[in-house]
Amino acid sequence: MLDRPTAISDHAPTGSKARVWDLGVRLFHWLLVASVAGAMLTGFFAPRPWLDLHLVFGSAVAALLLHRVVWGFAGSAYSRFSSFVVSPLFALKYAVALLRGRSVPHYAGHNPIGAMMIVTLLAVLTALTITGVVTLGGALKDGPLGFVTSFATGSTAKAIHVVLAYGLLALIGGHLAGIAAESIRTRENLIAAMVSGRKRVSGPGPRTATAHPFLAAVVVASASAGIGTIAVVASNRPALGVPTAALEGTYAKECGACHAPHHPSIAPAAAWQAILERLDDHFGDNAELDPATVAQLRTYLLAQSAEQFDSKAANIFRDVAAGETLPRVTETASWKRLHRAIASNVFQAKPVAGRVNCQACHADAATGGFKPRNISIPKEITK
Amino acid sequence: MTIRFIAVAACTMLAAANAVAQPNAKQQVLGSQYEAAAKAADQAFKAASAERGRAFFMGKHTGGKADSPSCTSCHTADLTKTGKTRAGKDIEPMAASVSPARYTDATQVEKWFKRNCADVLGRECTAGEKADILAFLLSL
Repeated sequence: MLDRPTAISDHAPTGSKARVWDLGVRLFHWLLVASVAGAMLTGFFAPRPWLDLHLVFGSAVAALLLHRVVWGFAGSAYSRFSSFVVSPLFALKYAVALLRGRSVPHYAGHNPIGAMMIVTLLAVLTALTITGVVTLGGALKDGPLGFVTSFATGSTAKAIHVVLAYGLLALIGGHLAGIAAESIRTRENLIAAMVSGRKRVSGPGPRTATAHPFLAAVVVASASAGIGTIAVVASNRPALGVPTAALEGTYAKECGACHAPHHPSIAPAAAWQAILERLDDHFGDNAELDPATVAQLRTYLLAQSAEQFDSKAANIFRDVAAGETLPRVTETASWKRLHRAIASNVFQAKPVAGRVNCQACHADAATGGFKPRNISIPKEITK
Repeated sequence: MTIRFIAVAACTMLAAANAVAQPNAKQQVLGSQYEAAAKAADQAFKAASAERGRAFFMGKHTGGKADSPSCTSCHTADLTKTGKTRAGKDIEPMAASVSPARYTDATQVEKWFKRNCADVLGRECTAGEKADILAFLLSL
């Protein structure tokens, strides 16, 4: 039923060994293993300030994917897509034949099921890379897409990114199971084969093709340089809807006299209204100001409130309701969730002086940035 | 020769230490304004007293917030040093000679009297209390 004619017995393979996986494929494979492992560990377990490390691993995966795609057209015989990519239907037929115990051909390169796995892995990794960059741009307002991506888009991308990450975990499990099963079935150590590159060659093989490493290197290098340059230029553009201006003078002076002044973008207009109306009982303290100053502050705060921005902080604190009591940002569910890993003694420590003092750890609190990479808990506390 | 030099140096240092800090002109004007207001409000008020001001500033009060029973709760007892708000912000030293920009703007002074008297005493300070406190702070 399979149109590959040269069938061999499952348990009595014959044939001589040859270099099936060239250096390009092997390097790609093991570097990808390392990069994906790093990306998964940092993605699932690392605290927020370690995000940069996740981005390094993610970028490595992207670079490796680029290399692999080029090598799929310019590499040696077994690395070319044309030598192993099959239709899903063909792979299904092969799988059915295999399960029914029928005689199937021996593939020196990827067998049709393996080929499907490779293509799926490459596709999922590509999708993870893309959704990762969109998440970075929209949810964290950073990276090459920060200047065009809305927070809503970033949040959607993040949800997809997470689903894909779990999917990748399942695929890796399938890949390892397949390698184990195939190693047993064909009595050939496929892990060793991916190290040495040498595999038994018999049965259907690809047409011979000459590798073009120089051409591939030039294509990969120029594409990397191009994409890298665009990414750097795009990353330096101001992020969409993120405040950048310093705090207004009167606000910084009057409110900053008693506490580190919050950026207006971390509370909705209604909350600022309520706060200005109740300055005589400002969270228990008297913070009264003359009416002219209050009016000036109102104009400023309402023009810079959470509704006016699309930063992460503006998005998560936009819905804070001004009810009976004044809204305290540190009492919101979002704030508590984001700070759940911080021990309370950190907030009580002298250099922090309370939860109200955002800038003790968020270096960009005064501009309303609140980017993960700008978080740094004062050293004398963490000792 | 050496003995004379040491004696002169010691006398100079003693003189410097004993010298009463002189508030600058703007601060003096504001002090007088508060004294005049106190006299106008209460005929029994003869003159602002730095001593009464010191006792008020350093003393413990009731009626205000539990964590600020005294002016020194935030300003500390050494008024030539920086204080700290309960939210962790530094407060410029209160001594007029150390912070020459203080006590030059009536609006600012009134703002802080209103807020801080409410926090420490749970009421506004009287004109006499304000005049005494200012006289004390201007003497530092």
